[in-house]
Amino acid sequence: MRPTLVVGNGPLLFILGPGERAIAGPFPIDPDLRRAAVRFNELGRDDLPAELVASIDPARAEETVLAAPARIARALEERLHRPVGEPNIDELRTARAAVPLLDASTERRFFLALGRVRLEEAMRSPEEVLITLAREEDRVERSVGREARAAESFVRVPGSPLDHHLDTWTRARDALGDLEDALRHSLESQAKLLVPNLSAVVGPRTAARLVATAGGVRPLARMPSARLQLLGSRRRPSPERGPRFGVLYRADRMADVPIGRRGAYARSLAALAAIAVRVDATTRRDLSAALVSRRDRRVDELRRKHG
Amino acid sequence: MRAGRSFRAVEGSPRLFESHHGDRRELWTEAVGELPPVYGERWVDAGSRRLRHFEPGRSKLAAAVVRGWSGDLPAPSERWLYLGAASGTTASHVADLVGPEGRVYALERSVRPFARLLSLADRWPNLRPILADARNPREYATLIPPVGGLYADIAQPDQLAIVIANAELLLSGSGTRLLIALKTPSMGRGRSAAGHRDASETTLADRMALAPSVSLEPFHRGHYMMGGRWGRSSKLPAPTATGATRPHGRRRGR
Repeated sequence: MRPTLVVGNGPLLFILGPGERAIAGPFPIDPDLRRAAVRFNELGRDDLPAELVASIDPARAEETVLAAPARIARALEERLHRPVGEPNIDELRTARAAVPLLDASTERRFFLALGRVRLEEAMRSPEEVLITLAREEDRVERSVGREARAAESFVRVPGSPLDHHLDTWTRARDALGDLEDALRHSLESQAKLLVPNLSAVVGPRTAARLVATAGGVRPLARMPSARLQLLGSRRRPSPERGPRFGVLYRADRMADVPIGRRGAYARSLAALAAIAVRVDATTRRDLSAALVSRRDRRVDELRRKHG
Repeated sequence: MRAGRSFRAVEGSPRLFESHHGDRRELWTEAVGELPPVYGERWVDAGSRRLRHFEPGRSKLAAAVVRGWSGDLPAPSERWLYLGAASGTTASHVADLVGPEGRVYALERSVRPFARLLSLADRWPNLRPILADARNPREYATLIPPVGGLYADIAQPDQLAIVIANAELLLSGSGTRLLIALKTPSMGRGRSAAGHRDASETTLADRMALAPSVSLEPFHRGHYMMGGRWGRSSKLPAPTATGATRPHGRRRGR
């Protein structure tokens, strides 16, 4: 039997037979897909395949799309005399084979719309916001540093045509500095919200960079402390003389530790940070006071031993 | 383009071209999209065609061709599913190979590379980007019509199981093509690179007719191109989620 109506975005969501009986599915449908369907329909009826437009009641198009999963599931349960959860692979393959293809331009518009919706949705999560902020702040910090160094070689000669650009350049540099401050501010408050314990142990900015380098809080929480210690380092680990720190080099209190002992501090700090991020990823209890006091004890110890 | 350079279609692949400079051989694909370059690759005009340089150092598929891959390549008008498209470096070339009448459904699960893939798809008319995890083919099975080929480049320890699950569900049937850029560095240290390749070949041999695998050294360390024609038999058991491809050692760092 050929499907006579395909509801949603062309062939993609639900296949209904005569009388709107489900003949294929139910397919797992997620909220993104539903939003994309609605947005896609907003693109204008001219964009939809003719057979689809003909069979949808315009007044109820959105309702049809939104109500379809439940209705299809019910219809299918009646037909199959069993609860429908996950369709088995043969049902899925049969359903997929029965789906007619969309014309290229409609299909293309659909995929671009769905991609945009899913991307927006993903970027809205606090974790992705933090990762974006951390990367941007890192990049802007480099630019600020580069511009500051550029200033050293800029010789001011009154009356020179170069002088004319100096004010603009100074303003641009200051604006870049302001941007960095603003980014750092948002970054730090976001990090304190998302990974409070880790932020307490290594400082919010380093915490954010750790999360960004690992690709998320959960991946970071799954890392052994030895990997966390080297996260973001550029050199290759080697038994002779590998790197001792990456992102952690700029952690809180690193500057208080004598240079020769910083590797040891990084090791201890990574152990504490690993505990902190696991708590942040799971129970979210506040262990910051205990972890910070252990960290500070270690700093004192390293300074004493060195002196 | 420099005068005197001649481009010849590679046998069996009408949209893949080669040029020779002394003993150096360069690969090119006929562009489906418009300039600017996708990742800084060179473009040349050759008669009525616009060709994009297909670098073995950047793309495992190009490396495989250079290393003598004898299996099938994506052919014009085919639909391909691309797992692990990242920002679309190789995906754009696969799209070139299938041409304007073909389709490439390109899957990527990380948001930042996907953002770039999406903007690439804006100017690459036959590329269909999908933000999804290849581990859950049922979540996007409804989006993709049955495909004639599957290309996988996934840095996961269970990459082979992921590929098989996708092939079972999404390939249109027997005789369709499978290309896997096997990333042994992601597969654990329980075996050597060649050991992983052998184990993967054993796993796949039940399900398909394999072309001889090629090593992608020196372009991509620890990588192999493997694949061939998918041969589904209804007697075969459903692919297991894990199986021989699980790493025995510790998972290696990303």
